[in-house]
Amino acid sequence: MLIPIEGTWCLILGASSGMGRAVARAMAAQGANVIGVHFDTAAHEEATAQLVDELRGHGVEAHFFNVNAASPAVRAELVPRIAELSGGTGLHVLVHSLAFGTLVPYLPRAGWERGITHRQLDMTLNVMAHSLVYWVQDLVAADLLPRGSKVYAMTSAGVTQALPSYGAVSAAKCALEAHVRQLACELAPREVAVNALRAGVTPTPSLARIPEHTEFVDRATLNNPHGRLTRPEDVAEAIVLLSRTDSSWITGNTIGVDGAELYAAGGAWNPHRADAAG
Amino acid sequence: MADQLAPRLDKEDLRLLIAEVLDVDVAEVTDDAHFVDDLEVDSLMALEITVRLEKEYGVRMQEEELESIRTMRSTYDLIERKLRETS
Repeated sequence: MLIPIEGTWCLILGASSGMGRAVARAMAAQGANVIGVHFDTAAHEEATAQLVDELRGHGVEAHFFNVNAASPAVRAELVPRIAELSGGTGLHVLVHSLAFGTLVPYLPRAGWERGITHRQLDMTLNVMAHSLVYWVQDLVAADLLPRGSKVYAMTSAGVTQALPSYGAVSAAKCALEAHVRQLACELAPREVAVNALRAGVTPTPSLARIPEHTEFVDRATLNNPHGRLTRPEDVAEAIVLLSRTDSSWITGNTIGVDGAELYAAGGAWNPHRADAAG
Repeated sequence: MADQLAPRLDKEDLRLLIAEVLDVDVAEVTDDAHFVDDLEVDSLMALEITVRLEKEYGVRMQEEELESIRTMRSTYDLIERKLRETS
């Protein structure tokens, strides 16, 4: 059954920038209350305060916490807070949008003196993939993912594409998609839907941290058959849309939100191509 | 002015804070132990240290200052300088 999301609560992990931020804005615009977890230095303080003000401007509650979402201590502290804030009703939406990992190759190569360390690889997998499982475990234990609620995790085309610096993140995205399928099955009796969203190449602060981003942003811009890159707002809109139901039948998927970028054959859809061919 | 600030920044308190964030024995955080090379600090732990220091000492780190957070000694010097600047 289609339902309004007004008055529901959503928890966004990675809420201060990029996709998480866009989802926070879109959900608040629809009347949903937002609990945001982000981890930033003080230089970002004003921007986050502005975002919170903007969300509250929609007449919803917005509570942001500047803490490490991948830390067990932080989870232990926040889960009771979420119960308290939502008045025990729990969450309708959980968004995992944690883009924090180590962007170095596995082996030393030109431009990189050292390959990835054990600790860096563990950290990347833990933050970008395993933390989804731990959050779901704790939220379920606290009865904060009721029937009809939705869990979304952000994956990327990088699961099947290799870039020199992206090995650990690619591995994390593969693990994340596997976690999504497993959680979808385990949460089916509770009628909670779990899906991964595979955005196209999207200009965000996290994308800008990938050393090779200039090259593939240029290529993706030419390659996307829509003639533009994915925007964080495209992803936010997909989440709003998929959350307007209490059905859990769309679950366990990796859903492309990329304007068909993944399937467009290299260069064939470049709008300038016809001109070039005369 | 420096006298007023002295109680706010204590080297052993700072050492304890760093050891706690890194989850290592305080004895490992010597003045010159390199966070990355000796204590295997990854970027998430570096961010943890930075955010904790900002909250604890009421300072705001600039992007270019983050590379000074590499040993106990260089971190202490950085915070001391920032506290002096803001006083």
